[in-house]
Amino acid sequence: MEEEKKEITEKELDIETIQKERNEYLEGWKRAKADFINYKNEETERTKRFSAITKEMIVADILPVLDSFELGIMSSKDEQSKKGMELIRMQLEEVLRRNGLEKINASPGDQFNPLYHEAIGEKESEYAEGTIAEEVGIGYTLDGRIVRPTRVKISKESKK
Amino acid sequence: MSKILGIDLGTTNSAMAIMEGGEPKVLENHEGNRTTPSIIALSKANERLAGLLAKRQGVVNPKNTINSVKRLIGRKWTDAEVQRDKQWLSYDIRESAHGGVEVKLGDRWHTPEEISAMVLQKLKADAEAKTGETISEAIITVPAYFDDTQRQATKNAGEIAGFNVRRIINEPTAAAFAYGVNKMKNEKIAVYDFGGGTFDISVLEIGFDPETKEQTVEVKATGGDTHLGGDDFDKKIIEHLVSEYKKAEGVDISNDPLAIQRLKEAAERAKHELSTAMETEINLPYITSDASGPKHFMMKLTRAKLEDLVREYIDRSIALVKEAVTAPAPKGAGLKLSDIGEVVLVGGQTRMPAIEEAVKNLFGKEPHKGINPDEVVSIGAAVQAGILQGDVKDILLLDVTPLTLSIETLGSVATPMIPKNTTIPTTKSQVFSTAADNQTSVEIHIGQGERPMMADNKTLARFILDGIPPSPRGVPQVEVTFDIDANGILNVSAKDKASGKTQSVRIEASTALSKEEIERLKQEAMAHAAEDEKKRGVIEAKNHAETLIYTAEKAMKDAGEKVPQELKDSINTKITNLNAVKTGEDKEAIEVKTQELSEELQKIGEIMYKENKAGDTPTDQTNHDQPSTGNN
Repeated sequence: MEEEKKEITEKELDIETIQKERNEYLEGWKRAKADFINYKNEETERTKRFSAITKEMIVADILPVLDSFELGIMSSKDEQSKKGMELIRMQLEEVLRRNGLEKINASPGDQFNPLYHEAIGEKESEYAEGTIAEEVGIGYTLDGRIVRPTRVKISKESKK
Repeated sequence: MSKILGIDLGTTNSAMAIMEGGEPKVLENHEGNRTTPSIIALSKANERLAGLLAKRQGVVNPKNTINSVKRLIGRKWTDAEVQRDKQWLSYDIRESAHGGVEVKLGDRWHTPEEISAMVLQKLKADAEAKTGETISEAIITVPAYFDDTQRQATKNAGEIAGFNVRRIINEPTAAAFAYGVNKMKNEKIAVYDFGGGTFDISVLEIGFDPETKEQTVEVKATGGDTHLGGDDFDKKIIEHLVSEYKKAEGVDISNDPLAIQRLKEAAERAKHELSTAMETEINLPYITSDASGPKHFMMKLTRAKLEDLVREYIDRSIALVKEAVTAPAPKGAGLKLSDIGEVVLVGGQTRMPAIEEAVKNLFGKEPHKGINPDEVVSIGAAVQAGILQGDVKDILLLDVTPLTLSIETLGSVATPMIPKNTTIPTTKSQVFSTAADNQTSVEIHIGQGERPMMADNKTLARFILDGIPPSPRGVPQVEVTFDIDANGILNVSAKDKASGKTQSVRIEASTALSKEEIERLKQEAMAHAAEDEKKRGVIEAKNHAETLIYTAEKAMKDAGEKVPQELKDSINTKITNLNAVKTGEDKEAIEVKTQELSEELQKIGEIMYKENKAGDTPTDQTNHDQPSTGNN
């Protein structure tokens, strides 16, 4: 009788351990499965993002070229070649625009907003202190994401 | 259970990572970047900014833009570092009531903990937005040289930000964790951390007790320079470019903020490019102008020149490493350089090949790299978080197949079924066919190894599937399935789709090769790669030739009288010619003769096409390119 009782208790303990193990394994399995599904969904998202990132990298590399055009046009004295350069710039801008690139608007007197603007210096101007005094470098968004903030000088109090 | 966030709270930049699916993953911040500037500001519009936004307005708002607060956290006002940093920090600091430091932001004085907490708060909010979960626990890393007060202050910063800080761990330890160098070994490791603004070297001793399975990490020595970093490299490059330009063009552009801004970006890009290229060009049209008109900037920068420019910094870091390792305690660890078992590189600047080379030469061993050096500390913190939250359990560790498992196909080619390094358990199926007409059985020959010819790999098992109904070659469909369970036991089954007949075999030891055996097989594969490729090419040509001969004979038989005897003779000659070279090993000869036969064969097609114009009978669509199991 005692013997049997002991055996039953032992078996019960065994079952308990096995049940515990089973739950642990099931939990691990469920988790792995869930992780995999999540991973797959994320991977799809990432693949989508990947082409966006590739585009962003290429476009970001082209921006200095646009800057150079801008500067070239500004310092060109020969009207004919100036016109030509303007047209090439427009052509380039059009290509980039079709790919989702947009200029960030920033005019003197606008409120400075670090979400879109990067301050690189101060300048005395006719505009209210702390607002944009001058746009120094054009900023761009690509499909709504900021690829480069507009570089601006901030208006400081006039000494006059 | 909520996830634990691993945070690398840096002097200039911070990063965060989390465990997902048993793997650490770096989280992007709200702006979409993987690192966040450790900067807090109170804008002129009285708005509190954190991270990139704070950085963007820093130049015009220096008094209320707090950066590098990590240099002050947990320090006493009288500390030499505080007195020194006070000179160049752009914001106001003062002694607090308890002899600590206070920082002025707007009208209020804050402790460095509060400022750090604002950075952590941003990370927390961004992490929660990214994961869609509430994250209330964190592990934060600190430099190995941080004392108790600095650690406590960092912990407090975490608590202020709303985290339950589970651990404060050392940055070098986290980096070592990320590389998994802590696996059950007693070892001394050196962590070389060259960041944007600081350079740290740490010597750690990792102890592992096999009885208790307990692991200890002891910091043996630390060293470094809190004012040496990648930013110094950039400055040096810009200085060089400006002075070279002055020499060449006679124009000083150092006072033109826009020119300097463009130069700075170009210099940074050049520095990155020179990590992979030997030479790069810096091309900035219309950089400035003088009386004679616009001026352009165009200069080549070589890797050698860059290394020459920053050599003093690299040498200085190496001298500091030597001191930290070899100097007697308390200055150093009192070890020999050869005592260091592993070396880990941390910080963006270690991407520079010259730095990697210098570290490698010093220790005489390849340093660990591969994980993004800007993220490795946060990844290590996430790994530690994973251990705490129970993600990293032995039970979830999955094995991989060490070698490719293949099946033999026509011409003794080993056709891979499960490539090496595939995570198991896994299943793969592929349909094969017969190589000869009326073939009623196929032999399934299973091999293991990287060589393309079955004879050169290790045979695991063979079995025969018979009872395939007689049919022309290429018609029967035999589905072969390889299934490896989590214990590495391989089940291979073959099923004839027509008769439903199945045969299978169970192989217990498909992954139980010894380490030496695996290495040997891999080495052999590498050594024979070229020769094997050639062999495989010949066999492919032979198989192709054989298929074409079969097609030709069948076409002639099918077309019967419609094909003129002349053409039949000509095709038969070509078949004889091809058969003659087919037994040899000359791939080109086989290909030439195959091509000749193929051209001749097209004439049958032309004739049939003309014939069929009226009749419209469907053409034979049997695909003869399928691999066929080799039992001919």
